[in-house]
Amino acid sequence: MMRATLVLLVRELKKWFGRKPVLVMSLLTPVLWIALFGKSLNLTNMLMPPGSLEGISPEMMKILEEMVTARLIELFGTTDYFTYISSGMLVVFAVFQGMFSGISIIFDKRLGYMDRLLVAPIPRLSIWLSKILAVAVRVTLLSLLLLAVSLLLGMNLKEGIGVIDLLASWSYIVLLAMTIASLYALLSFYADNQEIVFAAGNLLNLPLMFTSSAMFPVEQMPDWLQKLASANPVTFAADLVRYHLIGRPVGDYTAELVKLVVIALVMLVVSGWASLRWMNNR
Amino acid sequence: MRREECAVETIKLEKTYKNGVKALKGVSFCIRVGEIFSLLGPNGAGKTTTVKILSTLIKPSGGTAYVGGYNVVEESSKVRKIIGIVPQDLTADDEMTGYDNVYVQARLHGLSRNEAKKKTEEVLEFMGLLEAANRKARTYSGGMRKRLEIAMSLVHSPRLLFLDEPTLGLDVQSRRHLWDLIRKLKMEGTTILLTTHYMEEADALSDRIAIIDLGKVVALGSPEELKARLGGDRIYIKPVLNQDLISIKERLERKGYEVSILNGEVIVKVKKAEDSLFDIINLLRDSKISSLRISKPNLEDVFLELTGRKLRDEEPLDSFRYRIHSMRVRR
Repeated sequence: MMRATLVLLVRELKKWFGRKPVLVMSLLTPVLWIALFGKSLNLTNMLMPPGSLEGISPEMMKILEEMVTARLIELFGTTDYFTYISSGMLVVFAVFQGMFSGISIIFDKRLGYMDRLLVAPIPRLSIWLSKILAVAVRVTLLSLLLLAVSLLLGMNLKEGIGVIDLLASWSYIVLLAMTIASLYALLSFYADNQEIVFAAGNLLNLPLMFTSSAMFPVEQMPDWLQKLASANPVTFAADLVRYHLIGRPVGDYTAELVKLVVIALVMLVVSGWASLRWMNNR
Repeated sequence: MRREECAVETIKLEKTYKNGVKALKGVSFCIRVGEIFSLLGPNGAGKTTTVKILSTLIKPSGGTAYVGGYNVVEESSKVRKIIGIVPQDLTADDEMTGYDNVYVQARLHGLSRNEAKKKTEEVLEFMGLLEAANRKARTYSGGMRKRLEIAMSLVHSPRLLFLDEPTLGLDVQSRRHLWDLIRKLKMEGTTILLTTHYMEEADALSDRIAIIDLGKVVALGSPEELKARLGGDRIYIKPVLNQDLISIKERLERKGYEVSILNGEVIVKVKKAEDSLFDIINLLRDSKISSLRISKPNLEDVFLELTGRKLRDEEPLDSFRYRIHSMRVRR
């Protein structure tokens, strides 16, 4: 099982690295995202008291600024929205990468390579597992890159951040990526058309992103949206990662962690089981 | 009850697909160890379905099959270890090199890194692909791609090789080259199951052939046995004037020949045309004959006689795969 999975995982990664334009583009995407999106949507500046205010004493101005700062900290846990969003972006990017498990499966199926794998003397679950793990490896590498770029552009990590914080953040990001990858893997084994995967991606990715705390704090959302957000694994991952990376307090650490892990396990088990069922019942 | 001498045995194999298509309606045959056995039939006859069941890709709806003595459903993992399969579609990964495509197969079949490297090189050389080994598969020509498929299937030295329409879409030269390779494999002791709808291919390569049509085996035997069913050669005689047809027929019948008339020609069935030709010409020396030709029976005739139809393309393929396949083959 391990050995077959490893062989197939190496194949996936070799293909990824083998296509230079694809590799460059997939590395460039997070850089552009964080540089352009993160920097153009600068809520911190947007919220500052307007410079055109006249007749206000410096004391008053100071109070106004303190008000804004207090609100910013209340919402984002930092006065710097870029720090908030770049930590959320790490999580969002994991969601978007999840789709690649599905794309890879669909193409293996359509081009006949899947048939080769199905007649090889390997545990068939390793076929599924290699696709999920490939996403995990991709997300790991891309997250490191994303973090490096964010730091260059002025992201502030929490004071006294330790190796534990980094490792924890990494595990939550990868866990979320694997959850999403399971969903797309399941879909792709049963779909017979690559467009379904792209359509599902367009349908799911944005809602997953916006009904979570990845871009904006849940607290300022309307009630119904808050309910959605509090069931969304992206929210849990974003909250936990932020706690570790930028020190934004999280409501109930254990509860969010448990929910994230449970959703991930359920998705992985269901996806693995259903994929195996597809492979064995033809 | 499975028999020892069979490398592959199918017993009343049935397959009904989920969409209701009955692809196999009770197929039984035995492939002897070390022979080249062909399934000959038109597209849609059930050849590919049979190969897919034998290679454990799909499950039969009824009946049983044994490969190397193992049940294909209950002992599928054992079956997968001893077979190599060259599917009808080209399945090599376009984005990987020829070497990597073969190497991954070797590793998946449990060879260690060193063994896999050695066997990969060996089998690429055997297939004449060593020079192109480090090029991506998408740069390969149609014939090279097919050879790469075979290399991928041979790298773990399987006892049995299933070849599903191996020469589909190949030019004559590549086809001959492949035939030689298949014969070489047989010499080395590999049992080979070949499916084809080219009767020359079945005729040229097979020790025995099962003619399959609409999910059933309609005849089974060596090429010679099958052709002998037609009762030998045919001599076609075309008189200058159509009114002479009857008199020619009667004259030959009086001498004990089996004669019929079809499309303005008198047809004489004989055991061996060479032996009877002189006698027939002698008998007809006063008649005005415009042409005379001999027809040796071929498997196409056998199929026609058995089913009343010709071997021809009918089956619609998955259009996407078909286009990819054509793109790859034509290059």
